[in-house]
Amino acid sequence: MRRVVLYELFERFWHWAQALLILTMMLTGFEIRGVGPHIFGFARAVTLHNYLALALITLIVFAIFWHVTTGEWRQYIPTRKFLQEMVRFYLTGIFKGAPHPVKKHRMAKLNPLQRLAYLGFKVLIIPVQISTGALYFFYPNLQHTMGWSPTSLWFVAVVHVLGAFALVAFLIGHVYLTTTGHTPMTNLKAMLLGWEDLHDDEYFDQA
Amino acid sequence: MPHPPRRPSPPRMRGFLRVLAGLLVLIPFSGGAQEAVGPNPAGHGSFTASHAAKMRSQTADHSKFTALKGPFKDGDGPAVTRACLTCHTKAAEQMMATSHWTWNVAKDGKNGYGKSTALVNNYCLTIVGGNTEGCTRCHAGYGFKDKTFDFTKQENVDCLVCHDTTGDYEKERAGMPNPAVPLAEIAQKVGTPTNKNCGACHFFGGGANATKHGDLDDTILKAPRTEDVHMSRQGAGMDCVDCHTSAEHKVGGPNYVIPADRRDEPKFAGESISRMACPACHTVAPHQSYVLNRHYQKIACQTCHIPAFARGERPTNTFWDWATSGRLKDGRPYEEKDANGWPTYTSMRGKMVWERNVKPTYVWYNGNLDFLRLTDKLPAARPIVMNPAEGSYADPKAKIWPFKFHEATQPFDPVNNTFVAPFTDGPAGSGAYWGDWKMDVAVQKGMETAGLPYSGKFDYVRTTMLWPITHMVAPKEQALACTECHAKKGRLEQVGGFYLLGRDRGMGIDVLGFGMILLTILGVATHGLIRTLHGRK
Repeated sequence: MRRVVLYELFERFWHWAQALLILTMMLTGFEIRGVGPHIFGFARAVTLHNYLALALITLIVFAIFWHVTTGEWRQYIPTRKFLQEMVRFYLTGIFKGAPHPVKKHRMAKLNPLQRLAYLGFKVLIIPVQISTGALYFFYPNLQHTMGWSPTSLWFVAVVHVLGAFALVAFLIGHVYLTTTGHTPMTNLKAMLLGWEDLHDDEYFDQA
Repeated sequence: MPHPPRRPSPPRMRGFLRVLAGLLVLIPFSGGAQEAVGPNPAGHGSFTASHAAKMRSQTADHSKFTALKGPFKDGDGPAVTRACLTCHTKAAEQMMATSHWTWNVAKDGKNGYGKSTALVNNYCLTIVGGNTEGCTRCHAGYGFKDKTFDFTKQENVDCLVCHDTTGDYEKERAGMPNPAVPLAEIAQKVGTPTNKNCGACHFFGGGANATKHGDLDDTILKAPRTEDVHMSRQGAGMDCVDCHTSAEHKVGGPNYVIPADRRDEPKFAGESISRMACPACHTVAPHQSYVLNRHYQKIACQTCHIPAFARGERPTNTFWDWATSGRLKDGRPYEEKDANGWPTYTSMRGKMVWERNVKPTYVWYNGNLDFLRLTDKLPAARPIVMNPAEGSYADPKAKIWPFKFHEATQPFDPVNNTFVAPFTDGPAGSGAYWGDWKMDVAVQKGMETAGLPYSGKFDYVRTTMLWPITHMVAPKEQALACTECHAKKGRLEQVGGFYLLGRDRGMGIDVLGFGMILLTILGVATHGLIRTLHGRK
């Protein structure tokens, strides 16, 4: 058994703050859309959604700074190494109790599938949501100064909403996959406490 | 550099949001519309305060003037006017230059926009078909019986109808004073026009209280705050003339020519940048929320702050069916009323619909209504919109504005393709519609009197007339909730030209999105199920 520190304090704060912000943005966003539960009321949902967006952007700016200065951004460099093994593991191995094919290290804590998923989240979904959100918010101003069509806002709206749905789907998959650790709660505990006890010495020693 | 005075706790978040927003996307906020004007300290008066201020502004006690002591002969209005003119030597001349006197204005180089010339509505229709004498009880003059009226005679100006402060003044046919009115007494108590003065005519347009405008009737005089936050004595206690400011007797606000919201342009020299526009007192950024303030670029204040018109006790007329008028019982005209006592049929006017608390209709409006005159050819579309509002999203002066849409049927000339001016108001034997009940004769006679071409054939046509809603502003608690418009089938369902959040939501995207979520859940559930069945982990 070995104890590995996986998530530092800031990283955990960032993760959970982001989770909270995104969840409330989902609630307010879908209420504004008119397809979610009516919790806040339209006016408050709009105000909240806008302020939460500002808070999230601020948080992300800090997170980017942290990733760059600590070098943690390297954790997200995509790799093909063990990619097939990971896919096979989730499709068959996991059912047979096969061991996890990728060894977790402090500086390589994400498996190749996680790398792809989180990179996609960070460079695709979140930027798309932030830019379409900003476009949406400033559309009246931009439309006015740039002479854009007042009806073309539908395109921004559609992309923003599709991004939101993608986020919900991501969240469901993400939460489910946290249960695929050593025990169903292992990964969740790691994200809360920062460290994980790994029981894979035997397996990797053999290899 | 002097520091601006510190204010207690202004909307700091709004400023914060703006700064951050500006940093995020480096674009200038669009032009002058966003520049906040500092709040007007005199903006929120109580009735008592504003009333006291008005009393102080009087510098003359008119009971001290011998010219006003009379005695005046019963009903001799012109004699009173002559007395007024001994001091106010230019008053009549000024008055005569206004539409209160001419009942006519020219716009865009075309003449005939007024009831004394060629304007037609879909209530009582016109005055020029021989109905002048009955209608001119609302003319600010004496003796306007027909087109021979001398518009240059100064003593014919009626000072008292606007300046009476006693409430006892009353006008009769052709605008002459009721002979019972104590002229000398009234003349010694003249003052600034009050709501009663303006209301004497403007509350009663269309022939009776509340009939025409939908946002003007005599309930304003005793309005609770919920009915009219400005005019109510429990509200700001304002008078008509507080917004409809005037100079040289020109009163700001005639809708035929004045754009209701051309806030940057004074209507005439000396007008205090038309206080008729809300921002004159409220600024263009009166809300705490930047998002709400930004609505002002395209949404008139009235749209959210007047949730319904005819909010007093009185109903306004929304449909007037001339085509069914003229039915008689035993050769006599009759009336039918509903449970409220509102007429549903009168022989004089036809079927009628009256409504209270009516949701306005919303259209783009840049302040200009394109009136069809009696001399204009009619468009082919039915119903005929008699005064379509100009404007669109692209028009920087246009905003979405609430309107009363007044529906009617009325006579027109299908051969010449023009509206007609029937002679309605006259005794039996005169050929008048309300005397002899024959529309063909009434139209023939009316067009003759008006001096307009008539083919000899008439028919009824369906018409719609637009009445901008701007009075009876509700307290802010009653302003529209966002979802009144930001929703499917909301109030702006029919207002085109732009994407509106909540209204223009494509259902396809939701199906796609929920499909994606459903597939994810299915995938996850299947995976989890197999894991459990294998009894591992």
